[in-house]
Amino acid sequence: MTQSLTIRRILDALPITVFVLLFLYLSLNSANFLSFPTLELILKQAVPTVLVSLGLATVIVAGGDDVVSGGIDLSIPATAIICAAIVADQVTNHQSPLIWGLVLAFGAAGIIGAVNAGLVVWVRMTPLLATLATSVAIVGVTKVITESRRIGVTDPTIVFIRDGSIAGIAAGVVLTTIVALAYWHLVHRTKWGMNLQATGGSRDAAEISGIPTNRFVVQSFLLAAFAGWIACSFVLARGSGSSPGSEENLLLEMVLATFLGAAFSPRRVVTVWGAVLGAVLVSALSVGFISIGVNVFWTGCIKGVLILLVVASAAAGREQ
Amino acid sequence: MAVALLQMHDIIKSFPGVLALNKAALSVQPGEIHGLVGENGAGKSTIIKVLAGVYKADGGTVTIDGEALQDVTPRSVHEAGIRFIHQELHLVQHFTVTESVFMGQELSGIGGLSRRDMKAKAESFFKDALGTELSGDLLIRDLGIAERKLVQIARALIDGAAKLVVFDEPTAPLSSGETEKLFAAITNLKARGIAMIYVSHYLAEITDICDRVTVLRNGKTVSVFEEVLPDSTDAMITAMVGREIEALFPDVSHCASADLLQVQNLHHQAFSNVSFDVQAGEIVGIAGLIGSGREEVVDVLYGLKKASEGAVKFNGKSQAFNAPKDAVAAGMVLVPRDRRHDGLVLDMSVSDNVNLASLDDISTGLIERRKMGLAKAGAVAEQLDIRPRDPSAKARNLSGGNQQKVVLGRWLTRGAKLFILDEPTVGVDVGAKVEIYALVEKLAADGAGVLVSSSDPGELVGLCDRILVMLRGEIITEISTDGLGVDHLVALTTGGQAA
Repeated sequence: MTQSLTIRRILDALPITVFVLLFLYLSLNSANFLSFPTLELILKQAVPTVLVSLGLATVIVAGGDDVVSGGIDLSIPATAIICAAIVADQVTNHQSPLIWGLVLAFGAAGIIGAVNAGLVVWVRMTPLLATLATSVAIVGVTKVITESRRIGVTDPTIVFIRDGSIAGIAAGVVLTTIVALAYWHLVHRTKWGMNLQATGGSRDAAEISGIPTNRFVVQSFLLAAFAGWIACSFVLARGSGSSPGSEENLLLEMVLATFLGAAFSPRRVVTVWGAVLGAVLVSALSVGFISIGVNVFWTGCIKGVLILLVVASAAAGREQ
Repeated sequence: MAVALLQMHDIIKSFPGVLALNKAALSVQPGEIHGLVGENGAGKSTIIKVLAGVYKADGGTVTIDGEALQDVTPRSVHEAGIRFIHQELHLVQHFTVTESVFMGQELSGIGGLSRRDMKAKAESFFKDALGTELSGDLLIRDLGIAERKLVQIARALIDGAAKLVVFDEPTAPLSSGETEKLFAAITNLKARGIAMIYVSHYLAEITDICDRVTVLRNGKTVSVFEEVLPDSTDAMITAMVGREIEALFPDVSHCASADLLQVQNLHHQAFSNVSFDVQAGEIVGIAGLIGSGREEVVDVLYGLKKASEGAVKFNGKSQAFNAPKDAVAAGMVLVPRDRRHDGLVLDMSVSDNVNLASLDDISTGLIERRKMGLAKAGAVAEQLDIRPRDPSAKARNLSGGNQQKVVLGRWLTRGAKLFILDEPTVGVDVGAKVEIYALVEKLAADGAGVLVSSSDPGELVGLCDRILVMLRGEIITEISTDGLGVDHLVALTTGGQAA
C-alpha cells in the first residue's frame, strides 16, 4: 500500500520535474529568457493554444481523462484553422465584412461540434476515433477552400488583436484572459459545471444522481467547437492570415498543455486553469528552444516525447 | 397497526423463460427497519428493481402512504420519498465529500455555486442525521469504504424528503468495525422516523437491526416474521431453503490420495490467514457470500492477483504463480466465474475456443493445422455432449451449459492435475448441470483434484467431499459433507450460526 502510494507520488511529480529541469536549462543557457519582452512574447504566442485547450479541457472534464475511452476532441485545432480559412476567404477573396466571415465560420464550427457529439453520443464511437476522423475531413475541406494557399488578412480588427493593447497589455492576451475566465467560471463555479464534472468523473454516479449525462457530453463538444471558433481570430492575427497546415503544431501543443495541466491540479485531474497554465508553459518552451537555437524539428520531437511522458504518467497513476 | 408506508401486492414479473416474481408481497410500516432475505435468485433484487421503477411489473399494485402509485417510474418513486442505497458506491473519486453529497442537486446563487452553504449543510447532516463527523473538504479517494457508504447515504437523504430508504447489501464490502459505523448511522436515521428496507445475505445483521423480516423464495413471499429475535435465524433459513436437494448429484465416493495443493497462511487485501489443502482425487468446495474473500482466494491461487504473504505448494513444489500461464504450465487450470468475458472468445468457433490453450498440439512450426484442431474439438464435443455437435459453430450461439462444457473441454485436452471451478453452473439449465456434475465427479475419479468455489450451497453440499466456509475474509470452518444439510451451510456462510 505504502509502496504503491510512493510510486503514485513519483509518477505524479514526473512531468513537473521534467518541465522544471527544462526551464532551468533554458534560463541558464538563454540570457533573455526571463526578461519582460520574452515573457510578453510567450503569452502572445500562447494565445491560440490557450483557447483550443479550453475546449479540450471542457471535453475531457465531461468525458473523463482516459485518453482512449474518455473524452477527447482532436478536431478543435482543425476547427480553428477551417474557421480562419473561411474568414480569410470571405474578407480577402470576396471582400465581405469581417462579421459575415465570422458568422459563416460560427455556423461551420456549430456543425463540427454537432457532428462530433452525434458520433460519440448516438453512433457510440470512441471520441478519439470520431474526432480524429472529423479532423481529417475538416483539413481536407480547408484545403479545398484555400486551394492549399496562404490567404493574407489586413482587416483592422485582426490587426488590433495582433498589435493593439488594452491598458498597456497586448490585446490578444487580455481578450484571451476574459474568455478563459468565462470557461473557468462555467466549468468550475456553476451548477452546470459540477454536473459536467460528475459526468466525466463517473458516468454511472452522475446518471444515478439524475444528471442527463448525454446532454452534457453533447454540450461539451459544442463548447469545444466554440473554443475553436474563438481561436480562429487569434490564429488569423498570429499568422496575419490563414495558413493551412498550422493545425498540426496546434494539436500537439493543445494535447500537451491540457494533460500537463492535470499534473498541476491538486486533484490530478484536467481543469480549465490547469490547461491555461499548461499552454503558457508549452509556449515558454517553444520560445525558449528558439532563443537557444534548437532546430524547430527537434522542438517538435521534444514536445512529442513530453506528451508521451505526461499521458503515460497519467495512465500509470490511474493504474496505481 | 397503522397504515402501511409501502405495500407491494401480488407483484408478478417475468423474463423470457423465468418467472422471477410470482405474486410476491412486501409491506413496510412507517419508521421500521424491514429485512428482506432469500437465496440467490429468490427475487429480492427483482422486487427492489420493480419498486425503483427500473423494471415494470407484469401485474400487482404498489401503494405508498395508502395511495396506489399508478405509474411506477424512478421519478415518481423519488417524488414519493423513496431512496435507494445501491450496493455499488457510484462516487467520483476526485470529488470532495460536499461535491459528492450534492451531486445533481447542487445549491447555487447569482455568482455561481454556493460552496460554503453546501459544505455547512453536508457537515451538519453527517453530524445530526448520521451521528458522525466528516469534513466536507475531504476527497472521496482518501476515505475508507464505510465513510464512502455514509456519503452515498447522505446524497440520498440530504434533501430531507426521504420517507423510506432501501439498503441493498450495504455491508458486503465492509469489515466488522466499519459495519458498526454504518449501523450507528442507520439507528440514527430510524430515530428520525425514517423507514428502511434492509436487503442482506448476512442473517446475523438482519436479526441485529431489523424489526420485521420478509422471506422470499422462488419469487414468492413465503414468510413474514412479525418479531425478530436473535434465534430467529434457523426459522429464516428453513423458510429460505425450503426444499430437498434434487437428485442432481451422482453418488460416487472418492479416494483421496497424495497431497496436490497445500496453501499456508495466505494473506491478501480481501482475506487473511487462509490455509487448506486439496488431495488428488477429491472435490473440495469453498462457500461464502460475495465479499467473503472466496473469489479472491481463487484469483490469487491462479496468479490473477498477488498474495501479500503465505506459501503455496502445488504438486510437491513451492509455487507463487505470477500469471495464469505459470499455473497452467504447472497443471492448475481455471474455469472462470464470468464465462462470457473471461472463459470464452465468444465470436470464435467452438474448435478455436477448445484449442486455445493447446495450440502447440495442433501446430507444425508456425502453421496451425485447422483440420487437426477441428477433429480434436469434435472429439471433445462428442465426449462432453456439446450441442450443436458442429465444432465450427460460434461460441456465442451456444447455450450457457454448452458454453461451460467448451471451457471445461479446453482443459481436458491438456490433462490438468487440479481443476479450479469458479461458479461452474451459473446461468446453466438443470439438464446441463447434471452433466457438468457428472463430468466433475469423473475428473476426481480419474485422479485429478477439484476445487469448487460456488455461491450455491446446494451445489457444494451435493458435489464436494468437504467444504471450506469463508466469512469476511477468513476460513471460519472446514466441514465434511457427510450428513451436512444445506440449511446448516447457509447458516454458517451468513453468520447466522457460529462455526
